[in-house]
Amino acid sequence: MHTGARTALLIGLAGLVYGQPAVLLDVMASELDRNFQVLKEKSDPPAYYLSYAITEQDYSIISASFGAVTAHDQGRSRTLDVSVRVGSPKLDNYHRVRGDRARFTSGAPLTVDDEPGAIRRRIWLDTDRAWRAATERLVKIRTGTQVRVAEEDESDDFSQEDPQVHLQDRQPAVFRASEWEPRLRDLSKRFDRYPGVLTADVTVVWQDETRYFTDSAGSRLRHGRGYARVVISARGKAADGMDLGTGATFEAADPARLPSQAELAKAVDRVAQDLEALLKAPVSDPYVGPAIFSGRAAGVFFHEIFGHRVEGHRQKDESEGQTFTRGVGTRVLPEFLSVTFDPTRRDAAGTDLNGWYLYDDEGVAARPVQVVEDGVLKTFLMSRSPVRGFDRSNGHGRRQPGYEVVARQSNLLVESSRTVPEKRLRELLIEEVKRQGKPYGLYFRDVTGGFTQTARGGVQAFKVLPVLVYRVYPDGRPDELVRGADIVGTPLASFGKILATSDRTEVFNGYCGAESGRVPVAAVAPALLVSEIEIEKRASAQDRPPLLPPPGGAR
Amino acid sequence: MRPAQAAWLAGVLLAASAAAAPAPAPGPVLSAMEDELKRSRTLALPGLERPYFIEYTIDDVRSFAVSATGGGVVSVRRRRMRVPDIKVRVGDYRFDNTNYVGSGFPFGSRYDVGRFPLDDLYPVLRRFLWLGADSAYKSAVEALARKRAALKSVTAGERLDDFARAEPTVLLREIRPQALDEEGWIARARELSSLLARRAELKYSTIELEAVENVHHYVNTEGSRVRIPERMIFLRARALAQAADGMHLRDAATFHASDFDGLDPAALARAVAELSNHTAAMARAPVGKLYSGPVLFEGAAAAQLFAEVLGGNLAPTRRPVTEPRRPAAFPSSQLEGRQGARVLPEWMDVIDDPTQTEWRGRRLFGSFLVDREGVRPQPLVIVEKGVLKNFLLTRQPVRGWNGSNGRARLPGRFGHSTAAISNLFVRAAQTVPAAQLRKRMAEICETRGKPYGIVVRKMDFPSSASTEEVRRLLAGARSSGQPVSLPVLVYRVWPDGREELVRGLKFRGLNARSLKDILAAGDEEHVFDYLNNTARFALMGLGGYVAETSVVAPSVLIDDLELEPVEEEHPKLPLVAPPPS
Repeated sequence: MHTGARTALLIGLAGLVYGQPAVLLDVMASELDRNFQVLKEKSDPPAYYLSYAITEQDYSIISASFGAVTAHDQGRSRTLDVSVRVGSPKLDNYHRVRGDRARFTSGAPLTVDDEPGAIRRRIWLDTDRAWRAATERLVKIRTGTQVRVAEEDESDDFSQEDPQVHLQDRQPAVFRASEWEPRLRDLSKRFDRYPGVLTADVTVVWQDETRYFTDSAGSRLRHGRGYARVVISARGKAADGMDLGTGATFEAADPARLPSQAELAKAVDRVAQDLEALLKAPVSDPYVGPAIFSGRAAGVFFHEIFGHRVEGHRQKDESEGQTFTRGVGTRVLPEFLSVTFDPTRRDAAGTDLNGWYLYDDEGVAARPVQVVEDGVLKTFLMSRSPVRGFDRSNGHGRRQPGYEVVARQSNLLVESSRTVPEKRLRELLIEEVKRQGKPYGLYFRDVTGGFTQTARGGVQAFKVLPVLVYRVYPDGRPDELVRGADIVGTPLASFGKILATSDRTEVFNGYCGAESGRVPVAAVAPALLVSEIEIEKRASAQDRPPLLPPPGGAR
Repeated sequence: MRPAQAAWLAGVLLAASAAAAPAPAPGPVLSAMEDELKRSRTLALPGLERPYFIEYTIDDVRSFAVSATGGGVVSVRRRRMRVPDIKVRVGDYRFDNTNYVGSGFPFGSRYDVGRFPLDDLYPVLRRFLWLGADSAYKSAVEALARKRAALKSVTAGERLDDFARAEPTVLLREIRPQALDEEGWIARARELSSLLARRAELKYSTIELEAVENVHHYVNTEGSRVRIPERMIFLRARALAQAADGMHLRDAATFHASDFDGLDPAALARAVAELSNHTAAMARAPVGKLYSGPVLFEGAAAAQLFAEVLGGNLAPTRRPVTEPRRPAAFPSSQLEGRQGARVLPEWMDVIDDPTQTEWRGRRLFGSFLVDREGVRPQPLVIVEKGVLKNFLLTRQPVRGWNGSNGRARLPGRFGHSTAAISNLFVRAAQTVPAAQLRKRMAEICETRGKPYGIVVRKMDFPSSASTEEVRRLLAGARSSGQPVSLPVLVYRVWPDGREELVRGLKFRGLNARSLKDILAAGDEEHVFDYLNNTARFALMGLGGYVAETSVVAPSVLIDDLELEPVEEEHPKLPLVAPPPS
C-alpha cells in the first residue's frame, strides 16, 4: 500500500496567540540557565556561550494544474537550534578549519503544543548532543592548530555583542485556503488555451514564521513575519527536444497584498505566451558583446557574482576563492555604483521585499550595511564570526532552521549615480553594438536565478540562467527572442564592464541556498548596460516532444 | 475489508468473477486510465519497437498522521495525493527492456507529473497520463537499446524470459470511505505520550499514529481493470532509556488494524505501560554474556523470527543484465535453489494465504485481493513436511519458475516488483505445552553443563533503530554473513526456573538454515502483525510503500544458537541532570 509518506509535511492546529505570556520563551530561558550553569562549571573545556533558537512555522501550499488542484498541504512545526560554544571566543568549537564545516545543530522538532515538560526534555537532550559534538571538535582543533603553521587570519571565533530584548506583538495575517482553491483552478485552467504548454502549475504558498531566541548573555527575542507567494510556471518542449520553461512569481508579507485575480490572470497569459514564443524562437548562438540586463536580471547578477563574495565567513575560509578579502578600501565596482544590504527595508518599487527581518539568527539587530560606496569596498556582511579587521556582527548571521549560521545576504540594493531613462539605455546599447562592430546586442528580460562557485580550486565562475533573451539589432528591426542562452563568465571581469544604468529599479525576490540552508532574500537593481557578456549554448535534451497529440474530448 | 464483512466480501468476489452482478461505475479516474491506455498502445518511434505491454497504477491516498511526545503534539499531518506508476514494456515477453541495470531509469526528459490532479477531472487526468506514458515509452526503448548493446559484450548466463504471462483480472469494488476520529486520535496520542513520559527512567519517548485510506487503481493492456479500497491504521510507541554504563536501550510497541475502529484504546494503554516498564527494566538489567546452546523463542519472538528469517528469504532474486566492466553485487535469498530440500523439521508446514481474512476470530492484517501487478493471489504451500515447495513469485521469471503466484507486493528494481509474504501460517504437527518446552531446554542445558538457558520474547523486527544504528550493525556483521535483528527481550532461565532479563546481546550466525534445528514447538500459536517494506530489518517508517503482513506461529525451541555481546562504545551519561518532569 502507498502510505503517502513520500514527503513529510506538517499541519496546523490552532492559530498563534499574541500578547499572551511568553510561555515558550520562559521555558527556553529557564532550561538555558539550568544547562548553562552546569556546562560552564563541569564541562572540560568549559562552555562560555549557549543559545537556543526556536522557529515556529505555519504554512499552506496549494497547487493547481489545468483547472485541477494537485496539492493542498498545510502544516505547523517548531524547530529547535542549539548553539553551544566551548573554549573561549579566541578559539572555540566553531573555529573554521579547512575542509571541515562545523555542524552542531540538528534542527530538532519540538512539540507545537506549549507543553513545558516535553519542550524542556527535548532542549535538554539536544543541548547534551550539541555539547558533546562541540567538545569533541574543539579538542581536535586544539591538537590540529598546535602542529599547523599559523593561519592567515588570526581573528577570534566569536564576536562580543550586546544582548537584545524585544518581544514583538503582532497579529499574523490571515490566509484563506478555501478562497485560493477556486482561484488557482481558474488561473491554471487558462493554460488550456496554449497548446505549446505541456505542463503548468499555479501555486500559492503562505508561511508565517515566529522566531524565539534566548542566550546565556541575556538576549530574549520574539519576532516574526509572513511570506506569501504565488508561483506561476509553464514548461514545454521545442521541436528539437529542448526543454523550455517560463514563470512568474509574486511575493508579499501578507496574502492580502498579493496581486488581484485579474492581474494574476494576465501574468498566467504572459507566462504562456512567452513560452509559446520561446518554443518557436531560434536557438541562440555563442556570443560575446554588449548587453542590457533588466532590473530583475541585474539583481540576480549582483546577488550571484557580487553578494556571495562579500559574505564575511568566506574571507576567513582558506578553501574559499577570497576574491575580495584584501579588497577593502579598493575599487571593486564602477565609481557610479554603490551597494547596500538593508534587512530593515520592507519594500521597494511597490513590492514587499523578501529579505527583511528585525533580528538575525544570532539575535543581532538588523541594520543597513553599505558594502560598496562609489565603487569602493567598505566592509563585508558579518555574522558573529569575525574576520581580520571586522570584529563585530552587522546583523547578517542567517540560517534555515537546522543549519549553522553563516553570513548571508538580505535585501541587496544597487544604487547608481549614472542613470539614464530606459529608452536612452537602449540607444546606448545600439551605439555600443555599432562601436564594437557586432551584428546585434542582447537584452536579458528575465532570469530564474543562478549559482556561483566561490570555492578556491574551482573555477571562479558564475552562471545565471536566463529565460527571456532578445537580440537587439542596430538597424531598427524588431527585437528577436532567442532560446537556450546561458551566461558564463568570471566575476571580476564582469564588474568592470558596466557602462550605465537605467533610472528605474526592479525587485527580484527569491530564496537563496548556501551553507546555512535556504534563506529569503531580495535584490533591487536598475537595468544595467554592460560592454561585454559571454553566452554559451545550453546543453539540451535530445528526446522528442510527445509522440501522440494531447488527448482530446471530455467524458 | 472489515472483519464482520468477510462473508459479504467473499460474495463480492464471486459476483465480480462471474460478471453477473452490475459492475460499479468506473468513475473518472479509471475511465481516464482506460481511455488513455488504449491510445498509448499506438506509441511509436520510427524504426523502434512498439509497446507490447503497458500498465497504469494510480494510488489515491488520504493519510492522517500525528506524533506526540511528553503530552504535547509534535506534528499533525493530513495528506491527499494521487501517486501514479506508469510502466511500458517494449520487445516481447521473452526479451524486453526490463531485467537490465538501467531498467526503470528515466532516460531523457521527465515531465513534471508526479502529483496527479486531486480533482476528478477526466481531461486533466488523461493529460497527465498522456505525458507519463510518453516518457515511460521513451525510457523503455532507450533501456532496451542499451540492454542489447550490453549483451553484445557480456554473456548472460541462463536465458530466462523477461516477463511472465498472467490472466487478466477485472475487479471493481465500491468505494466507501470510513470516517476517522482525527481529534480523538490527537487527544489519544497526547495521552499515551504523557503516560510514557511519566516514567523518569525513559530518556525520550514518542507516539506516532498514522491512518491511511487508499483507492488502488490498476489497468493494463492485457485487459486487467482493478479498483479496490485499501485501509489501515497503525500506532507506534517508542521508548529510549540509558543504562548506567551509557548503553542505550530502545524498544517499540506497534499496533495495526485494517479498519479505523480496529485499535482497542484500552489495549494500547496497557501495552504502552508495558513498553515503559520493560524498557526501564532493560536499562537496569545486567549485560548478557557469550552464550551457545538452546534458545527458546516465545510468543511474538517466534513469529518475528519466522517473518524475518523465513519470510524474508522466500523471494528469489534475479541478476539483471549489467554494463560491461561494471560488475555489481546483487543480494540473493538464503533459500535460493533449495526447493525440494528440507528447511524445517518434517513435522512443520508453512502456508502463505492472503485469501484468509480471519484467524480464530481475529482479523488478519496481511490479506489482500490483487497484487501490484493485477494478479489475484491464491493460498500457497511454502513448506510441506519440512520440505521447501514454493517461492513467492511475481511476473518476473526467475530460475526454475515462470509465472506469478500473485505475491508482487512491494516496488522492486529493474522494472519489476518485489514479492513478499501476506498471512504466513507456520504450523507444527507435533506440539508440546509451554512448560514442556522450558523443561526440554533445561534438560539440554543440564546434559551439556550449561548454567542457564535463554528465552527470547521479542525481536527488534521491524526494527525501531535509527538508520545510523542499522549502518553500524551491517558494518559490524560484514564478516559473519547477513545479520538478523537484535533480540530485545532476552532472559536467562536458571535451572530453578528463575528468569533474569539481560541486555546488549546479538545473535551470531542465525539464518534460514538455523530453522532446521528446531527441536520442538509449543501448542499455542501467536499472531504478529507488521508493516513490511524493502528496507533492511523492515526498518520502521521507511519507504512510501508498505505491505501489511501477519505471521501466525507457535513458540519454538532451537538448538545450538549463539549470542554475543554487542561490542560498541556507549555514549556517556548527560552532564546535566534531566529536567524535572
